[in-house]
Amino acid sequence: MARLELRPRLQHPAAWWLWGLGLATAASRTTNPVLLLLVVGVCVVVVAERHDPATVNPLPAFLVIGAVIVVFRIVMTALLGNGFVGQTVVVTLPSVPLPDWAASVRIGGTVTLESLLYAAYDALRLAAVLACLGAANALASPRRLLRYLPATLYDVGTAVVVGLTFAPQLLTDARDVRAARTLRGRDGRGVREMARLTVPVLETAFERSLGLAASMESRGYGRSVRSTTTSRRAATGLALAGLVGVLAGLYGLLDSSAGGVLGLPVLVLGALLAGSSLVVGASRDPRSGHRRDRWTWTATTTVLAGAVPAAVLVIASAGGWPGVVPSQQAQLPEVPLLAVLAVLVSATPAWFTPRPREVAP
Amino acid sequence: MMTGRRVIPLRWPAAVAVGVVGIVGLVAFTWPFFVTADVARDHGNDAPWLFAVLLGLLAVVCLAEVTAGRLDAKTIAVLGVAAAAGGGLRLLSAGTAGLEPMFFVVIVAGRVLGPGVGFVSGALAVTTGALLTGGVGPWLPFQMICAGGIGLGAGLLPVRAGSRVERWALAAYALVTGLVFGLFMNLWFWPFLGTGAPTGMGFVPGAPLQDNLAHYGLFYLATSLGWDLPRGVLNAVLVLVAGPALLRVFRRGARRAAFGVPVVFAPAPGRDAAPHREPAEPHDEPPVVPLHDAEHPR
Repeated sequence: MARLELRPRLQHPAAWWLWGLGLATAASRTTNPVLLLLVVGVCVVVVAERHDPATVNPLPAFLVIGAVIVVFRIVMTALLGNGFVGQTVVVTLPSVPLPDWAASVRIGGTVTLESLLYAAYDALRLAAVLACLGAANALASPRRLLRYLPATLYDVGTAVVVGLTFAPQLLTDARDVRAARTLRGRDGRGVREMARLTVPVLETAFERSLGLAASMESRGYGRSVRSTTTSRRAATGLALAGLVGVLAGLYGLLDSSAGGVLGLPVLVLGALLAGSSLVVGASRDPRSGHRRDRWTWTATTTVLAGAVPAAVLVIASAGGWPGVVPSQQAQLPEVPLLAVLAVLVSATPAWFTPRPREVAP
Repeated sequence: MMTGRRVIPLRWPAAVAVGVVGIVGLVAFTWPFFVTADVARDHGNDAPWLFAVLLGLLAVVCLAEVTAGRLDAKTIAVLGVAAAAGGGLRLLSAGTAGLEPMFFVVIVAGRVLGPGVGFVSGALAVTTGALLTGGVGPWLPFQMICAGGIGLGAGLLPVRAGSRVERWALAAYALVTGLVFGLFMNLWFWPFLGTGAPTGMGFVPGAPLQDNLAHYGLFYLATSLGWDLPRGVLNAVLVLVAGPALLRVFRRGARRAAFGVPVVFAPAPGRDAAPHREPAEPHDEPPVVPLHDAEHPR
């Protein structure tokens, strides 16, 4: 097996994002708690195995938010009820009488097991989707995707990179200014102090940004993107045509009396036109890159591993397999075996992908 | 003093693009209120995802149209500062969800540097914040459109720059946008809740407009107002307290960057024939600091 051990490196970020989106699609199609917990488990395992140790792991924060959503939804359902009427009464809370204008709302009253389970399953689905996104964020930092912006957005991408570089410096500056104010006997709390902080901090930031602009200009910034008047006009034309198409398609889609059949194709066509304006507008000079991400067979396999559960669960929910949308009863829901296997397939990237480089202790 | 007023000019294609994306955004948020029951039942589960993808694409197209070929190094650097300030504030306030002082920077940037920069810096501040906290998700396109709109609106507010009214107008604007932002941002997931929402607060497909509006109003009062009101008030107070100083900082920054000043090459007397910048209207423009001075701040 030693021959299969790959050189440590980071896998292509797009592969991890496509994998995460595939898994999120799968999770959004089912409310079966077993499947959803399995999806969360897959995310945790893959992140534990392949998370880049050089960056902060955002997955725990996503998991906490998911857990808070589940608890919040259950508590809200117990207090305010939901549109689901059940038979099994768990407990009857004292109810609060409300004025006429809020007659449709109830506070307290009977709490049924079915409505609680419905809320829990539904919230769990959202939590699982969040876990998939958190895993994608953890496995490939989204800022690594900035490199793949089309040439038309080169300027915008640069501004974001400048922002990403300046933000930590801003925080350091803010800490320094605050420390200086504390030394002068201010406690540095409250809105007024916060407002006082902004002026020196932003002054410094502007100073630095103008310095950066000067150095960018002196180094011939922006020469790598080629854009002519013709190409820009073509891009504008495509973008406007595409936007009009999108509007028309939306209208057709939402107002079924106005030709709902045409809605989706027109919408897709408009979106394609608008998207192509990004490609047409400018082109980039070919240049060599530093530590360019390579798309290898592991990346392709990772994307496929994410696509398998998505495909299986989309088919399952469309075909109405038993257990994909379980009934709200006090029993363990039926678990479709094929869906479980499909979700387990998506865990395989934890082993066949290259390991990220270890950080020197 | 309107030095930086047209840092990113909104020409008609860009203005049309922003307008159409605004309409699509409005549809993306408010569709539950006016579709028929069939459409809502068929697409209720997919629509939020569809709109997230669609708005993501459109926001990017819109950014490309607004900035097409017209950003020089200085504009990028200034946008970077606005994005960094917005993102940094987001990072600071990550613990206190809802209390986001980010809009305060976006509003000031849009006010000083014009609607074009307001739109781009709003969208970029949200993106930077999401990239910094690793919080990229389907909510990002909706937030980009909303924050961009807030910056754009701040640039279009009909008050004279530097007047006494400006401070109060901006504070009121910050309060209103803080509330409206929450009002709209809930809408992207509210139809999702469906029957899962509390009794009498959920989206009922095909119900009359006023019923759904009433349900949503109750939902907003019960869940979201508690977050949105403090955020709006915090932003308004920040604008009131720090607004004038911050406006001055941004105006000074814009003046020192000398946007829109044409570079003129003129044969200079003596041996120093280096190109220098001359303001277009010497009586109207402030003294221009040559850019290379900015590298060695005094």
